[in-house]
Amino acid sequence: MATTAPPAESTTVWTKEDAKASRKANNKLHRREHAWAAAFMAPPVIGWIAFLLFPLGFSVYASLTNWNGIGNMTFIGLDNYTRLLQDQYFWKALWNTVFYMIGIPIGLALSLALALALSRKIRGRTFFRTVYYIPVISSLAAVAILWQWAYNGDFGLVNQALGLIGIEGPNWLMDKDWAKPALIIMAVWKGLGYSTLLYLAAVQAVPRSLYEAAALDGASSWKRFTKITWPMVQPVTFFLVVTNIIAGSMIFTEINIMTPTGGPEWSTASLVWYVWNQAFRNLQMGYATAMALVLGILVLIVTVIQFRINRANDFSID
Amino acid sequence: MRKFRTAAITATMVGALTLAACSGGTGGDTSGSPEPDTAGGDAPNELTFMFRGGEYDKIAYEAAIEKFEEETGASVTMIITDADQYATKLQAAIAGNKVPDVFYIEPGKMMGYVYADVLADLTEYVPQETIDNIWSFGTDAYRFNTETGARGDSADPLYGLPKDVGPFGFGYNTVLFDALGLEHPSADEPLTFDEFVALCQELTQSDKLDYETWGTGLNVVWNSQAFIWGAGADWISEDQKTVTVDTPEFAEALQWFADLGLVEGVTPSAEQAQTLDTYQRWMAGEIGFFPVAPWDIATYNSVAEENPDKFGYDVIPYPVANEGDDWSTWLGSLGIAVSENSKNKELAAQLATYLSTDLDAQKILAENKVQIPNLIDYATGEWIETDAPAAGWPANTKAFLEIAEEKGRPLPGVWTYTPEWYDNFWVNITRVVDTGDQSAADFLAEVQPQMQQLLDQSWISADQAKANG
Repeated sequence: MATTAPPAESTTVWTKEDAKASRKANNKLHRREHAWAAAFMAPPVIGWIAFLLFPLGFSVYASLTNWNGIGNMTFIGLDNYTRLLQDQYFWKALWNTVFYMIGIPIGLALSLALALALSRKIRGRTFFRTVYYIPVISSLAAVAILWQWAYNGDFGLVNQALGLIGIEGPNWLMDKDWAKPALIIMAVWKGLGYSTLLYLAAVQAVPRSLYEAAALDGASSWKRFTKITWPMVQPVTFFLVVTNIIAGSMIFTEINIMTPTGGPEWSTASLVWYVWNQAFRNLQMGYATAMALVLGILVLIVTVIQFRINRANDFSID
Repeated sequence: MRKFRTAAITATMVGALTLAACSGGTGGDTSGSPEPDTAGGDAPNELTFMFRGGEYDKIAYEAAIEKFEEETGASVTMIITDADQYATKLQAAIAGNKVPDVFYIEPGKMMGYVYADVLADLTEYVPQETIDNIWSFGTDAYRFNTETGARGDSADPLYGLPKDVGPFGFGYNTVLFDALGLEHPSADEPLTFDEFVALCQELTQSDKLDYETWGTGLNVVWNSQAFIWGAGADWISEDQKTVTVDTPEFAEALQWFADLGLVEGVTPSAEQAQTLDTYQRWMAGEIGFFPVAPWDIATYNSVAEENPDKFGYDVIPYPVANEGDDWSTWLGSLGIAVSENSKNKELAAQLATYLSTDLDAQKILAENKVQIPNLIDYATGEWIETDAPAAGWPANTKAFLEIAEEKGRPLPGVWTYTPEWYDNFWVNITRVVDTGDQSAADFLAEVQPQMQQLLDQSWISADQAKANG
C-alpha cells in the first residue's frame, strides 16, 4: 500500500501513531468502498443463491428422500438412484431424449444453408427472414396442436403434400417408428428461424477481404466455404450446439400435447416427460428429482466436453 | 481459475435453462395474468374455492355460491383454472402452503393428500341424510381408511363429496339399426358376447348403404374394462394388492376384444381408426355400437339434429360373456374436498356440501348435460320422469342411473396410491389389439410381473407417505 509508506525525504518523523491513523482512515475508506461494492454485487448473488443454489441444494436433498411432493420427506439415501438404474422406462425415456438430438445437426445444417442464401441480395429477402422467424415467436403449445393436425394420417397436411409427389405417408404420431422423427421434424422447423438469424449475423460479419484474397488465389466456392465461412461461424455453431443440447434434453411440451401417453409403445416419452409424470401423476417427487438431477449431470458433462473441444479448436485472426 | 470459471458458467447455463424449462409447465399460461392467490380465507366468513371446469360448471356454481353467501353471510372467492393445469397448480399450492379452503380432488390422488394432512375429515360435518341422498359410489370414492389403506368402505372417514359421478355407458346408433332392418337391442337385458358379435357382423357392411359401416370401434384403453369385467375377470384383487391379469378368463376376454377387429373384422382397421378415429366415425353414422357418457350427450344431440338420416342413439347395458352374467362398467367421479388447515373448516364443509348437493345447481348441470344429478331423490323422481326427457337426454337414461346406483366400478388404478401399475398395462397393448403380433395370453404373462412390481412399489410408497405424514 503506497499511501501508508512514510514520505521518503520528509523531515517529519513518521510515528507509529501517524501510521495507525493513516491506516484507520484508509480502512474506513476501503470499508465504505467494500460496502458499496457489496451492495452492487448483492442482488445477483442473492438471486443466484435464492433461485439457483438453494433450489439445487434442495433438489439434491429431495432426491435422497421419498418425498411425494405434498407431505414430509424421509431420508432414504441413494435408493432413488439405485431404483432408476433398474427402471426400464428411465432408460427408454433417456434413449428417446438422446434420439431427439438427431434434429440438432439437421437443424444447424439447414439454418446455415438458409443463412447463406438470405445473406445474398435476393428479392424478398426480408419477407423470407420474417417467414422463417415466425415459428420462433409462436406459442409452442399452439404449434404442437397445429402439427398434430398436420400429422393426421388421412387428412393431415403432411401426408397430403407427400401424396402430391406420389408418396403414401405413414400415420406419423400413431406409428412407433415414425412418431419420434415426426417430433424431430417439428422441432427443427420451430427452431430454424432462431439458428438462421444467428448464422446470418455471423456470416455477414466475415470480412469481405478474406473472400477477395481467396478468390485471387483461385479458391473455389466450396473451398471458400470450408476454409473461411465455416471456421468463422464456428463460435455461433458452438453456441447453438450447446444451447440446443440443453434445450433438447428438456423436450416436454410438444410431447405432452401431441402424444400425451408417451406415444405408441412409449416411443416418444422423453425423460422430462417421464419426470413430470412421476412427480405430478404418481406422487414420486423424490424419485423424479433424482432423475432430473441425473439428466442435469449428463447435460453438464456433455457441455463441459463441448467447451473443451471448442477450446482445442479455437483460433483467431491476427 | 479458468477451469473454475468455465465450470461455473456451464453450470449456471444448464441450471438456468433447466429452471426456465421447469417453469414452462404443460405449455405455459399464455394469459399473462398474475397467478391468483389460492390461500384459504383469513376472516371468519371468507372462503376460497378452486376448481376447473367448463362454462356450465361456472354458471351452476356461481348460482349456488350466491345463494350460499346469502344464507350464511360467507364471502367466497372462486378460482377457476384450465383443466390440464389444475392438478399441477393444486400441488404447487399445497407445497407452498396456500391451500384453498375448498377445492376439487381426484379420487385417485386422495390417499397422498390424506396422508399429508391436506384433506379435512368431513364425516362429522355432513349430515347422514345428505349422504344417504347421494349415490353411494359418489361418497364411497372419497372414503379412506388410513390404517389399512382400504378404499370405498362406507364405514370409513369421508374426505370429499362428489362434484359428479360419471357413468361410462354404452350405446347404439338407432338410425343405422333401422336402415339395416335390425331389431334394436334390449334396453334392460345385456347382449351376450356372441349376440354382440353377430349383431356387429350384421352392422359391418360395405354395399348395403351408400357408405361403409362397422359393428363397433372401441378404444381398448377406455372401452375394454366393461368387457373384461363382463367376462368375470379383473385387473386387481379385491384387497388391491395383487395384479390378476394373468387368469384364463382375462386372457380369453382380452383376446375376444382384440379379435373383434383382427378376426371378426367388425371394427375399422387400426389404420382406418387412426386416420379418422372411431369417435368421429360413430358421429358420422358409420358405427353401430359405441360408448355414451353424460358429457357426450350435448354433442351427440347436436350431431343427431344436424344429421338425422345417419345418426341417432340410445343407451343400453354393456354385453356380458354369458346369458345371466351381471354387467358393469366404470364410473368416474371428481370430488370436492376441504382443506385440513382451513381457518373456517365448518363453513368450508358447508360450502362443499352445498356445491355437491344444491338442487338448483344440480338442475343447471343436468339440464345442460354436464352430468347426471348427484341427488338420488331428484334423479330418480322429477329428473328421470320429466326434466331429463325435456332437456333431451336419451330415451334410456335410466341406464345411467343404474350404473351410478349399482353397476358402476372405479377404474382399476383409481383406488391404489398411484396408477402407474395400471398405466403400464396399456404401453404395449397395440401388439395385441392392433397388430396381433402377440397373443393376449402371452402379453398378459409378460406384463403381469411388471405390473405387480409397480403395484408393490405403489404400496411401499403409500406406507412411506403414511409414515412421513
